[in-house]
Amino acid sequence: MTSTASPTREKRTGRGPGRHGRGARRGLAWRMWRRCLRSGTFRTLGPFVPVVALWWLLDALEVFPESFFVGPPTVVDKLGELLEKGILPGYLSDSLTRLGYGVGFGLLIGLPLGFAVAMSRMVRRAFWPILLFFQAVADIAWLPIVIVWFGFSLTTVTFVLVYTIVFPLMLSVVAGVEQVPRELVRAARSLGAGRLRVFLEVIVPGALPSVAGGIRTGLGYGWRALVAAEIIVGTSGIGFMMFDARRVGDVSQVFLGMAVLGALWYALDALILAPFERATVERWGMVRAMEADG
Amino acid sequence: MTALKIDRLNKVYTDTYSGEEVTAIADVSFTVREGEFVSVLGPSGCGKTTVLNIVAGFVRQSGGTVVVDGRPVDGPGPDRGVVFQSHALFPWKTVLGNVVFGLRMRGVPRAERNATAEEFLKLVGLDGFAHRYPHELSGGMQQRLGVARVLANEPAVMLMDEPFASIDAQTRRKLQEDLTGIFESRRPTVFFVTHDVDEAVFLSDRIVVLSRRPSRVREIVDVTLPRPRRWQETAELPEFRRIANQVNDLLAGDENEAADGGARAGDAGGEPGAA
Amino acid sequence: MTAPTARRPAVRRPPRRRGVRSTAAGALWFFGPLAALVAAWAVAVSASGAPLRVFPQVTDVLAALGELWTSGDLWRHLGASLRRTGIGMALALVTALPFGIALGASRVLSAFFLPLLRFSVALAGIAWIPIATLWFGYGDRAVIFIVWNAMFFALTYNAMLGVRQIPTELLRAARSLGTGRLRMFWEILLPGALPSIVTGLRVGLGYGWRGLVAAEIIASNAGLGYALFQAQKYFQTDVIIASMMIIGVLWLLMDRLLLAPLERRTVERWGMTGAQGT
Repeated sequence: MTSTASPTREKRTGRGPGRHGRGARRGLAWRMWRRCLRSGTFRTLGPFVPVVALWWLLDALEVFPESFFVGPPTVVDKLGELLEKGILPGYLSDSLTRLGYGVGFGLLIGLPLGFAVAMSRMVRRAFWPILLFFQAVADIAWLPIVIVWFGFSLTTVTFVLVYTIVFPLMLSVVAGVEQVPRELVRAARSLGAGRLRVFLEVIVPGALPSVAGGIRTGLGYGWRALVAAEIIVGTSGIGFMMFDARRVGDVSQVFLGMAVLGALWYALDALILAPFERATVERWGMVRAMEADG
Repeated sequence: MTALKIDRLNKVYTDTYSGEEVTAIADVSFTVREGEFVSVLGPSGCGKTTVLNIVAGFVRQSGGTVVVDGRPVDGPGPDRGVVFQSHALFPWKTVLGNVVFGLRMRGVPRAERNATAEEFLKLVGLDGFAHRYPHELSGGMQQRLGVARVLANEPAVMLMDEPFASIDAQTRRKLQEDLTGIFESRRPTVFFVTHDVDEAVFLSDRIVVLSRRPSRVREIVDVTLPRPRRWQETAELPEFRRIANQVNDLLAGDENEAADGGARAGDAGGEPGAA
Repeated sequence: MTAPTARRPAVRRPPRRRGVRSTAAGALWFFGPLAALVAAWAVAVSASGAPLRVFPQVTDVLAALGELWTSGDLWRHLGASLRRTGIGMALALVTALPFGIALGASRVLSAFFLPLLRFSVALAGIAWIPIATLWFGYGDRAVIFIVWNAMFFALTYNAMLGVRQIPTELLRAARSLGTGRLRMFWEILLPGALPSIVTGLRVGLGYGWRGLVAAEIIASNAGLGYALFQAQKYFQTDVIIASMMIIGVLWLLMDRLLLAPLERRTVERWGMTGAQGT
């Protein structure tokens, strides 16, 4: 990686001698390399290659004792074993089901409630401290009381997940509605839009960038809450798998669990969150730039 | 025909924190005829934008009346389209989506509104950009779009709030010429707020010069320059310089009074109304 | 297109006045709704006739709070939690800021680390609990590791982004005024990246706080999380709710007394508005 580092830096600062004609002198391999660098997949996944290599190296050199740290081959073996036994697919689908319920209900509750609170200035002011307070009581702190209420069940996990998602979401909706430039509402009104049209065509899209941020934050918290709930409630799921493995001292399974969690988040980010953000915020060229004009 | 009639307009703000009362507009009256281009000019902070906001229906006046097309103003409405200094284009709608917005609100069928949009995009020189997003346009193009969006809605009055203030000098001249061209060909009624004397003289049929706060109408200046106007020729006319100087003197006189300060400030406020 | 290169205060806010009147009104607007919430809770519990063992009444919770206070348990748990948060946060600041700023100063390094950091931010905190307890055993060190870990990645990531967002003209101006490397860090990079760093601190502290509670539930014998879980074991719902309220109030206090003043003194004072944090 260091060999590629220097040309790029020189290109940026323009300090390097013979900046022009340098690319031409290099051969086909260089051009291929440049093309690779420009591709999105390479740029996002490429950096993981040296990290895995480092992990491998640390394991091979036995820097840490075997009972604390295992290398990629062991983890891959474990993956094969758990896949074969059907444990991993089962736990994975349990975790995803919970996440699905939590996110689904969270969005279903948080979005309408958020807009309802945001629409009136008075209501907004009255609800703001309540939202802040509920956001402040960390979602995981609800786990014990919810266990008292619903026992060790799916409802418990769902409740905590919904909680984690609803409050950041509502806060972001309220903040997003407040950020919609007043001029835009005025423009729509003076073009003949009624209240409903202003809401649908100005307020909602104007708040979307902030809402997208809220969904991201909510999922980030929800994700963690899921793992914590699975550890504490402890019946099934990836979080449970990791903690159970830790209890019996199976390091490779703990490592595997983390790798699975990471891969899942990556998929979630790449398949759902990022496209949504690209379709709204980036396509519209950042609402903030507009505001700065005003 | 009178398109817009402003009568004894008065606006008093109450500062929410201190509870102090601030008079932004003392007493402003004037009319705009149909197909006329009237500019409102005044020293910065004199409340000219407040007048526009009241006409647009964004802000409620404390006293006096505003009548547009025979109806008193009550809230914003499509009969008064506003071109904002910040453009206020909907970033999530394409150029076309912005232009047809007003027509959609009125329920104009798609084919018809697309035809209208095309016509007005052509008028402001944006044909071929229909499917771009506003942030992909230059500042000048964005403001043309702002004008097209309002004109396509065929308002009784087009209200323009320092529309070219945030645009670089060269582009501004071009836009002023284009606006004059559009005005001369289609004759919309325009109410234009600015602090740029040359701009006001170049564009307007009449200029309403306001005093500093609390504002009153200091004088209404007729601009008798021939149309069509082009910067190159119009700015050369002795008449152009004369009117510009006259307006500049009016504004400067106001500042001198302000500089004289305290003792005379009281009656200085009363004087201009009589002038 | 007016590119957002020059950083201008994006949102015009009403001038903040710190008069007596506005402070009192602000406090009323803040505590009024919360008081209403507590009243609603009291009414709901007594009207619904729900079993008090499951849904405790306001007065029970207050009594539980009083008992926690007088028995000294409150201070023991509070002290443990705050100490861990403090140490974890200090470690995170000391390690993450130089690292993140150094990364941000180089375009190549930051491009390389960006996806890695995004990934790590997403995974930081709670998911590390099993490993942390494996490496450090149950107790203080595991909990502190979780807090540090939760904050480290968010801080590094945001510090890096913050440096990258500093306008090039600013860097050039500093260089042409003869700023040395070390000076550059203190006088330009750190303050320039501060809006983003504050956001990172907020996000990181949010993750850290949740990580703390979870880690204390799972891996410790003191602290608010532990108190919470202990009470659940003995079905003391009033103690559970009291502990939850303490956790909420503590977070609000941290936000008000730590983050908000930091933001006010720096970012807002300099007229740079950062990304909004939740």
